[in-house]
Amino acid sequence: MRAEIIVITSGKGGVGKTTTTANIGVGLAMNDKKVALIDTDTGLRNLDLLLGLENRIMYDLVDVTEGRVPYKKALVKHKKFEKLFLLPTSQVKDKSSVNPEALMKLCDEMREEFDYILIDCPAGIEQGFQTAIAGADTAIVVTMPEISAVRDADKIIGELGRADKENIKLIVNRIRPQMVEQGDMLDMDDINDILSITCIGQVPDDEKVVTSTNRGEPVVGNEDSLAGRAYMNVVRRILGEDVPFMDLRKDSFFRRIKRAFGMN
Amino acid sequence: MSEDIVKIKGIKQGLLLIFASDSKFDEIEENIQKKLSLGFFTRGTPVYIHPEDLPKDDAETLKKIFAKYGLICKIENPENEIREIKQEEPQREEVSFAKPEVKVEGEKVEEMMVVNKTLRGGQEIRTKASVLVCGNVNPGAQIIAGGSIDIRGKCLGVVHAGAFGNQDAVIIADRLLPTQIRIANLVARAPDEGDETEKPERASIKDGQIVIEPIER
Repeated sequence: MRAEIIVITSGKGGVGKTTTTANIGVGLAMNDKKVALIDTDTGLRNLDLLLGLENRIMYDLVDVTEGRVPYKKALVKHKKFEKLFLLPTSQVKDKSSVNPEALMKLCDEMREEFDYILIDCPAGIEQGFQTAIAGADTAIVVTMPEISAVRDADKIIGELGRADKENIKLIVNRIRPQMVEQGDMLDMDDINDILSITCIGQVPDDEKVVTSTNRGEPVVGNEDSLAGRAYMNVVRRILGEDVPFMDLRKDSFFRRIKRAFGMN
Repeated sequence: MSEDIVKIKGIKQGLLLIFASDSKFDEIEENIQKKLSLGFFTRGTPVYIHPEDLPKDDAETLKKIFAKYGLICKIENPENEIREIKQEEPQREEVSFAKPEVKVEGEKVEEMMVVNKTLRGGQEIRTKASVLVCGNVNPGAQIIAGGSIDIRGKCLGVVHAGAFGNQDAVIIADRLLPTQIRIANLVARAPDEGDETEKPERASIKDGQIVIEPIER
């Protein structure tokens, strides 16, 4: 095995990096891949909560990079998915406790054991970001249809380019199809215009994401949820499948009539 | 062997053309035309011809051919330039971009900087030279140039031409929609409710004002 190392980053906070990491991780594990999730948001760890694994943490990333325990000891196995592992980070230390070299060394060590290693990056472009991207082969930039989020994504893509990361993919999260249709929200064309990188996901804003987050069970694969289906499509695109993008627009009464008459 | 008529050598400043000693100019011209039509050269790469290698008229003809394909051809010994560039280098901030070119005309030094990528938010170019961008200039990006600015793409950032007082500097872009446009000591900003055109436009100073007009290219 030789893992692909993917960093999930955004620049701006609150666009859904951690949610995306958790969902892609679970999705890949559902497709029978051996996956490790590394939380690098030291001091503000969340990934364990989204996966419902907080109470199983024994050691953390800082213990591993400082050489107190081997990484295998710090890995937390997911309760439902045999092949999904989390390497949580410390709640008490801060970002300066892990340096880029240490994380790169760890990734190289873990590479042989997994199919995918996902790194959840902290917000911002400071040291935490530099550490998180150091070992990655691919970067996934998460953004929202909002000018500030797109602007920050643009900046992050520039920073990734400066660090010689050329393989960059985009996920647009929390799209509200109704607002897009009314012209109150940026649409995909506006976003592509500025960012011009390959998009592998368009995920709608969905209440089920919040409820499932609170339960510690990512929404991916939940057929009742549009976001769940969108995340599963992202996973399939990462696995190399060619999946068309969903039509996120609500199936309005008007459109149904149009379709009945073969107009749409 | 037709391949050997023109040899291309990669040097620090760009490409150096070396001609076989017994070749005729017709053959050289044909060979270069062929290479150009195959897209052998990357746009914006400076091409050098050693002045002792070809008669002046022939070299000028080649220069015109290269210009047609958007390449800058220089008839000079590239060795002479290394020193020029070294002198200028400390003033440059961005080092990751293509090496600037230096053209010597009497005492006046004119330069051009080529950027072969999209400038993203937060990136800045600051140079005494003119700037050619093959890509977009995104919002949040900044170009401050002593000379003119030519953008082969969309311009949405902040652009400042003639930043050291040159009132003749111009700014050209395929889509000129900058957050702010500055030439020499004048500033203009995009109207809050803008009417957008699909055409390339040029901004320049006329009667003490920044004027934007459509152009053909």
